[in-house]
Amino acid sequence: MIRRMLLSREAVLAGVLAILFAGFGMFVDGFLDGFSLFERARYWVVPGLVAVPMTFIIATAGIDLSVGSIVAMCTIVFGLLYSDAQWPIAAAACAAVAAGVAGGAVNGMASGFLGIPPLVATLATMALFRGVAMGLSQARTVSDFPESFLWISQGDAFGIPLGGGDTAFVPVPIFALLAAAALGWILMRKSWIGRFAECIGENRTAARFAAIDVGRMTLALYTACGAVCGVAALFNTALYATAKADAATGMELEAIACVVVGGTRVSGGQGSVPGSLLGLLIIGLLRYGLEMAGVKSQHVVIFVGALLILTAVFNEWMAAARTRS
Amino acid sequence: MSAVVLELDDIHKGFGGVPALRGVRLEVCAGEVHGLIGENGAGKSTLINVATGLFRPDAGTIRYTGRPVSFSTTRQAARAGIAVVHQEADLFAQMSLAENMLLGRGLVRWGPFVDWRATYGEAERIMSAMGESFDVRAEAGGLSVARRMMAGIAAAVSDRARVLFLDEPTSSLTLKEIENLFARIRGLRDAGVGIVYVSHRLEEVLALCDRVTIMRDGETVETQPVSALTMDRMVAAMVGRAVVYEQRRETRAPGAVRLRVERAASRSGAFHDVSLDVRAGEIVGLYGFVGAGRSEFAQALFGIEPLASGAIAVDGETLAVRSPRQAVRAGLAYLPEDRLVQGVFRTHPLRANASVAALRNLSIAGMVRARAERALAARIMREMNVRATSMEQPIGTLSGGNQQKVVFGRWQALNPRVILLDEPTRGVDVGAKGEIHKLIRDRAASGAAILLISSELPEIMALSDRVVTLSEGRITGSFVPGADGEEAIAAAAVPRATEAGANTAAHPRPGAVARLLRFRALGLLGFIAVLSLVMTVLKPAEFANARNLFDILANAAMPAIMAQGAMLIICAGGIDISVGSMMGLVAAASALAAKAGAPPLACLGLAIAAGAGCGLINAGLSLAARIHPIIVTLAGLSIYRGFMRIVTGGSEVMQLPPGFRAIADGLWFGLPKICYYVIAATLITHLILRYTLTGRRVLALGNSETAARLIGLSKTRLTLFVFGVSGAFVGLTAVLASGYYGTVQANTGEGMELKAIAAAVIGGCNILGGRGSALGTLLGAFLVALLYNMLILLEASSYWQSIFVGGLILMAVAVDALLQRARGGGR
Repeated sequence: MIRRMLLSREAVLAGVLAILFAGFGMFVDGFLDGFSLFERARYWVVPGLVAVPMTFIIATAGIDLSVGSIVAMCTIVFGLLYSDAQWPIAAAACAAVAAGVAGGAVNGMASGFLGIPPLVATLATMALFRGVAMGLSQARTVSDFPESFLWISQGDAFGIPLGGGDTAFVPVPIFALLAAAALGWILMRKSWIGRFAECIGENRTAARFAAIDVGRMTLALYTACGAVCGVAALFNTALYATAKADAATGMELEAIACVVVGGTRVSGGQGSVPGSLLGLLIIGLLRYGLEMAGVKSQHVVIFVGALLILTAVFNEWMAAARTRS
Repeated sequence: MSAVVLELDDIHKGFGGVPALRGVRLEVCAGEVHGLIGENGAGKSTLINVATGLFRPDAGTIRYTGRPVSFSTTRQAARAGIAVVHQEADLFAQMSLAENMLLGRGLVRWGPFVDWRATYGEAERIMSAMGESFDVRAEAGGLSVARRMMAGIAAAVSDRARVLFLDEPTSSLTLKEIENLFARIRGLRDAGVGIVYVSHRLEEVLALCDRVTIMRDGETVETQPVSALTMDRMVAAMVGRAVVYEQRRETRAPGAVRLRVERAASRSGAFHDVSLDVRAGEIVGLYGFVGAGRSEFAQALFGIEPLASGAIAVDGETLAVRSPRQAVRAGLAYLPEDRLVQGVFRTHPLRANASVAALRNLSIAGMVRARAERALAARIMREMNVRATSMEQPIGTLSGGNQQKVVFGRWQALNPRVILLDEPTRGVDVGAKGEIHKLIRDRAASGAAILLISSELPEIMALSDRVVTLSEGRITGSFVPGADGEEAIAAAAVPRATEAGANTAAHPRPGAVARLLRFRALGLLGFIAVLSLVMTVLKPAEFANARNLFDILANAAMPAIMAQGAMLIICAGGIDISVGSMMGLVAAASALAAKAGAPPLACLGLAIAAGAGCGLINAGLSLAARIHPIIVTLAGLSIYRGFMRIVTGGSEVMQLPPGFRAIADGLWFGLPKICYYVIAATLITHLILRYTLTGRRVLALGNSETAARLIGLSKTRLTLFVFGVSGAFVGLTAVLASGYYGTVQANTGEGMELKAIAAAVIGGCNILGGRGSALGTLLGAFLVALLYNMLILLEASSYWQSIFVGGLILMAVAVDALLQRARGGGR
């Protein structure tokens, strides 16, 4: 029944998406330009990648506020190793992901084994890792990346002819996002990892009694989140063609908003990766439409925040209504 | 005998269709000690809960001093004069004993403030009226159960209780403490209080009570004067019944020993020196009363808590079981006692609940084979005879019995060699009970070794090949049903007091954490002194001068004020990470108002009001949505910053009028003005936290939400209060910052929330709530500013500040967590 509920939740999300699309399309000039829309989609990939492991973490009734800082830390590690230490790109990329793993592991150890509430632990590491990123970079930025690397974010895969002789190009990073989402969906729905994560969020005590290793799973999930942040950092660096320490500022809000808008309750117990993806699209389209309509980007964030609160309230209200019936 | 003061007449009460009380009758007279005895599940707890207002009866009347009454809360009943003292009461562990006793009734006040001398005096007076005298100032969590219980009784009595229910008062007491308790009880009786003494310790009941009521299966069987009773008579009445479960199957010679436990002892003292064997195909019943240690034993075998000593062997192989996963791999399975809390994933479908234990076995390369899972769930539903419309139903929609069958069935797929069943038919209707019994027998027939924990003697008699009795954590006998009668078994299970006192966990180490934290303030001062000394040596010219000191004070001031607010919120069990952005917004708004010509004090008032308003919005949204404030304040972080940019149009707010700046800038009597604000804010917070009823209630809420609710505290009001006060402090800080620095920039306030939270946790605030110190927070803020100053003077780059603040929070919270664990878990 939960699945059915979520399924209809996803239908609702798709509906909201359609309404947004139609609404902006009618009232905002230039919104329906397929070319720009696809271009814009490039920028959704980084928060989208992070939203996938975040879905698992929030399903366990946890949270990770440090994702933006981990991305920054990894992007600097990548940039410095490539540019200063002259490492080959692939090796530098692996090191970046390793840095993400390390960051996630710190979060996981603190939450899973020391008993520190994940909220506080990741609030602290948010500052800690950002500082490390700034420290490593020494306020420098690295920009001399080869075209072949930049292609992963800036390249186009193939063109879709639109009416009127125009073509829209599907950006390459979309495929990474789709792959991550597909993997996330499989793990959440089809593997015991997702199932156990939901159990931990639903009833931590019962999970222990059902012989689920709560400590180890928590460590694994936060570490995996860190690893994905490392990968996201690569895409981020390629997108902006720069590695700098203030990358991904505020990304934690976006990633968490994607998950919550997607229907995953903050109190844990179930998670939906397709929901998070739809949440990503909704937030992405919302931002794009507002910006096209002339709202300044610093003000757009107010809408995202308000949307987060509204959907969190709505999620809880729906759950309460369901138990009442 | 004197007048009847409390009468329960034909009380019925059921839960989810299962009756717990069936026409119960109880009469309590003034000036008597009335014993109430019965097996587990006889209904004693439910009776207490109905009599003291926790539950409303489904049918029947309660008459108090002759008049029918109906209570909706325990608070109401207590105020009327009917009180209960539980052994396992929720308490405010980090607060003093006096407060635990008096917070519900009201601390003694002097005007609006708490008069501590009088409050402690009142608590001491109450205790001495009982003939006790001990330190009421001590932290309740560090006290022995005996003391807490005495305090509870004393408080109830001073509250003019006329009927007092004592629920299992002696199970954790030493002989001396029991003697003492009896003396007090007799004193109360002589003073006219009617005492209901609910206990399994039949010897004590015989020694203490005037009359005894015996319960069985939800009914009050008989009430007799104690002179007419003997131990045997009581046991017979408790267990003798017409109900007989279907007798056992054909006796089959049991096979080899599958489970062997030798001299197991638990770390918490719940059981000692327990040895038993269970053979293949054998059902060994473990019978005992509440507190005997049965569940703890089974859970220790399953790896939930490790053993202190002793050996476990399954099929001849000695095991070191340190986690449930290891236990499962060794072939053990455990059906938990409390299905709702320990077994069921309520919103998940039946299929998922059934397959969770076997899920990894059903998977290839991590992927669950869906068809195999459905087949398993279908098989379990069939074998356990689970009645449900579909396996996709959330298990919460099933009846208790069906839920139990699913949880039982969960382990079947693993073909466990040893099955530990903890109260398998509790709260299950009669029909389902019979089915579960059959399932248990089938399991045994297929070769499993079964340990059956049950409080229902007929059930144990019907199912077990052997019955072992556990009392006060020790094995007291081994019986064969059929050869031995129920009464012999029940008599062996009856707990008796021992010299040492059964449960060593009831005597935790006295407030080690509390002591450590009292020294925290001193430690912080010491640390600050040491750091200052180091810096004076390293950078004498730059560090040790007035200018630098003023800089440190200025940099400590804003976070210090905001940290007081953050601490209040954390004490209540919440958190607010939007305060930095809130500060920016309010700073911009008030600065612009000042530039537009508003008088400075009006701007200050506006800022404080605006800050409080934002705080109330944060709290209100979180409460209305019933979600943790993290989500609302995370969104608020961006939303307030966004509004700030709208208000300022993105540009810096400069050239603030001198009148406005004068609020913060400049000196009074040689010290920077802002220092006085800091002192004022610290004093106000200290006053609130320590000397107002609201402040004490905030701490109570942070200590235990359930206990707070029981004494009638309003989470809503207290949460709104702390967020509002914090917001007011944010508003004040906003004006001070803009006045002192003369400008409001786009990043004003950025990162303040971290500094505030760091200052609070360094200063000794418990991140989980319930403990905080205004002075500690102030010192914490100063320490953070000092560290920042050191970093700057040592020419470390600014990013080190970020690393430090994050690291400090992590360290402070980690140290707290480890200390709590060393003390013995929980708060």
